[in-house]
Amino acid sequence: MKKVLCLVGVLCFLAVPAMAKTIRIGLMAPMTGSWASEGQDMRDIVNLLAEELNARGGVLGKQVEIVVEDDAGDPRSAALAAQRLSTRKVAAVIGTYGSSVAEAAQNIYDDYDIIQVANGATSNRLTEKGLNYFFRTCPRNDEQAMVAAKALDRMGFSKIAILHDNTSYARGLADDARKFIGEVSDSRVVFFNALTPGERDFNTILTRMRAADPDVILFTGYYPEAGLLLRQKMEMGWNVPMIGGDATNNPDLVEIAGKQAANGFYFLSPPVPQDLPTDEARDFLAAFEKKYEKLPGSIWAVLAGDAFTAIVTAMEGSGSTDSRKVANYMRTQLKDMPALTGTISFNSVGDRIGDVYRVYQVNEEGAFVLKSH
Amino acid sequence: MEFFLQQLFNGLAVGGIYALVALGYTMVYGVMKLMNFAHGELFTMGAFLGLSFLGIFAFTESLGPFGGVLVLILLVMAMVALMGVLLERVAYRPLRSSPRLSAIVSALGASIFLQNAIMLIYGARFQVYPHGILPNIPLSFFGVEIPLLRVLLLLVSLVMMAGLYFFVQKTQIGTAIRAAAIDQDAARLMGINVDRVIQIVFIIGPALGAAAGVMVGIYYGQINFTMGWIFGLKAFTAAIIGGIGNIPGAMLGGLLLGVLEAMGAAYISTAWKDAIAFAVLILILLVRPRGILGERVADKL
Repeated sequence: MKKVLCLVGVLCFLAVPAMAKTIRIGLMAPMTGSWASEGQDMRDIVNLLAEELNARGGVLGKQVEIVVEDDAGDPRSAALAAQRLSTRKVAAVIGTYGSSVAEAAQNIYDDYDIIQVANGATSNRLTEKGLNYFFRTCPRNDEQAMVAAKALDRMGFSKIAILHDNTSYARGLADDARKFIGEVSDSRVVFFNALTPGERDFNTILTRMRAADPDVILFTGYYPEAGLLLRQKMEMGWNVPMIGGDATNNPDLVEIAGKQAANGFYFLSPPVPQDLPTDEARDFLAAFEKKYEKLPGSIWAVLAGDAFTAIVTAMEGSGSTDSRKVANYMRTQLKDMPALTGTISFNSVGDRIGDVYRVYQVNEEGAFVLKSH
Repeated sequence: MEFFLQQLFNGLAVGGIYALVALGYTMVYGVMKLMNFAHGELFTMGAFLGLSFLGIFAFTESLGPFGGVLVLILLVMAMVALMGVLLERVAYRPLRSSPRLSAIVSALGASIFLQNAIMLIYGARFQVYPHGILPNIPLSFFGVEIPLLRVLLLLVSLVMMAGLYFFVQKTQIGTAIRAAAIDQDAARLMGINVDRVIQIVFIIGPALGAAAGVMVGIYYGQINFTMGWIFGLKAFTAAIIGGIGNIPGAMLGGLLLGVLEAMGAAYISTAWKDAIAFAVLILILLVRPRGILGERVADKL
């Protein structure tokens, strides 16, 4: 009798996940650390989309539950966050923002057969490894580097200083840019080096760059350091123009640099939230502003929302939450899905097909102004 | 030559801050033989309190920029000194007779606790000091750009360091601190109240760290709750280069570390700046295991 009871108990226990009333989707995001403002926007956007979806009846007849884990913008914390999410029965994971952070987590998700859709991790090699379950809604570095090389040429800069921060994203973008600058124009790279993220004082680096006498600085790192560079550059009385990669697309950049120092700073990016082209995006931003009384800071958080939409659309389309079926659907059948940042399709390695970088400039009020396509 | 002088000045300006933070480490170590890992967080606390008080009392409007900043720094120093005393009471005093490892673990715990507390109170985002609190006039000597604010930063650091040095060398309390640093038990036998000495050390060290925090906030503008880690690490290194427990050593170590980093970035590679600075640290320790000024144990502090 005891044995039978035991067996029944075990069976009940095993049966629980199969009868689960909700579908869990994980969100791995930098809720603390240098990029915390990105992570908090990611959470707010995904939560709002999930609420709207649940109000419409959820997906496959079930409600969606978002499980948030903090990766602190740091690869070590990301590995732990990935382990925790993997044991919490999530059907798929959204995130994360940084490339080196996504890289630390992607093998873990792949081992557990969990789909990961990154929203800000643009390093080329993330999709070149041939993982089965890795996708991303953001474009790739090499695409951005080509746009950078062409834009620099069009603006008439010929002596270029490139500064990165040794993270896999920034280093990759800097390397690609150096390669393409030689290919598309006669420009020269007169300085190529890195700074240490997290530091405050970049006067030594700026002094050394100034000695190389560039026409323009291309900085491929993130917004906190870019803000400090702009501020310290102004304080040393050096007026060289500076152009940033897409990781400088965050309003905090202007906060840190101050409006005066940020004025005239160029950066490359997919469209900022306010410039999103579709009606869905405008409606969503209105709903977002109503609920949280602010607008999302950057496009990266909005791309987390698109990752959510891609996952639930693929679940609905394949009629399943099985990772293999959903991933297969995303690669082969999910075509031109309407999303907040435009239409989304994935290629065979999980990269988003067809997206255009734009050139933005910060104006004297500290606003981001679209310069060109 | 201009390039060299410019980098030398850049290094000295950063080194002055390292030195100021290093003094807190070195004093606590000198008297208690304890690495106070929470020191970096007290520095962060200084930066955040400075920003809060600036917002609440609008010092610079009523007292003018320089007077206002001075009052602000003094007020923050007093607040953080209070926290230092509290920290000693709660985290270190109960463990004073325990093995040294317990105190180190307690210091690490206090560091993590404080960092999280700062994050929960002030949030995880960057906070920004208002621009132009102090007028920043660009000055130029022999082709070297020396913004006034950076000169002031270095001067304030040097004045505080010199003040501390004379306090420890010339006053009665200073003599008691030096005595306790050599041998706590013997000092007690000579009628010195060692508990009070330790309290004073935990007033001065955190106060200097807090002053550095406010200065970093005013000059660099951007502060966040993790900033104590990198400055703490650099200050710790500076204290060891100079000879831990030795006050002139901490000053020398801080300035030297700043200059080493600047020269490494200037002539080798900006990406290898830290690696070069730490390689020199190892080299110094191989040649002089007690640090540059750490040879005579009896003169500690």
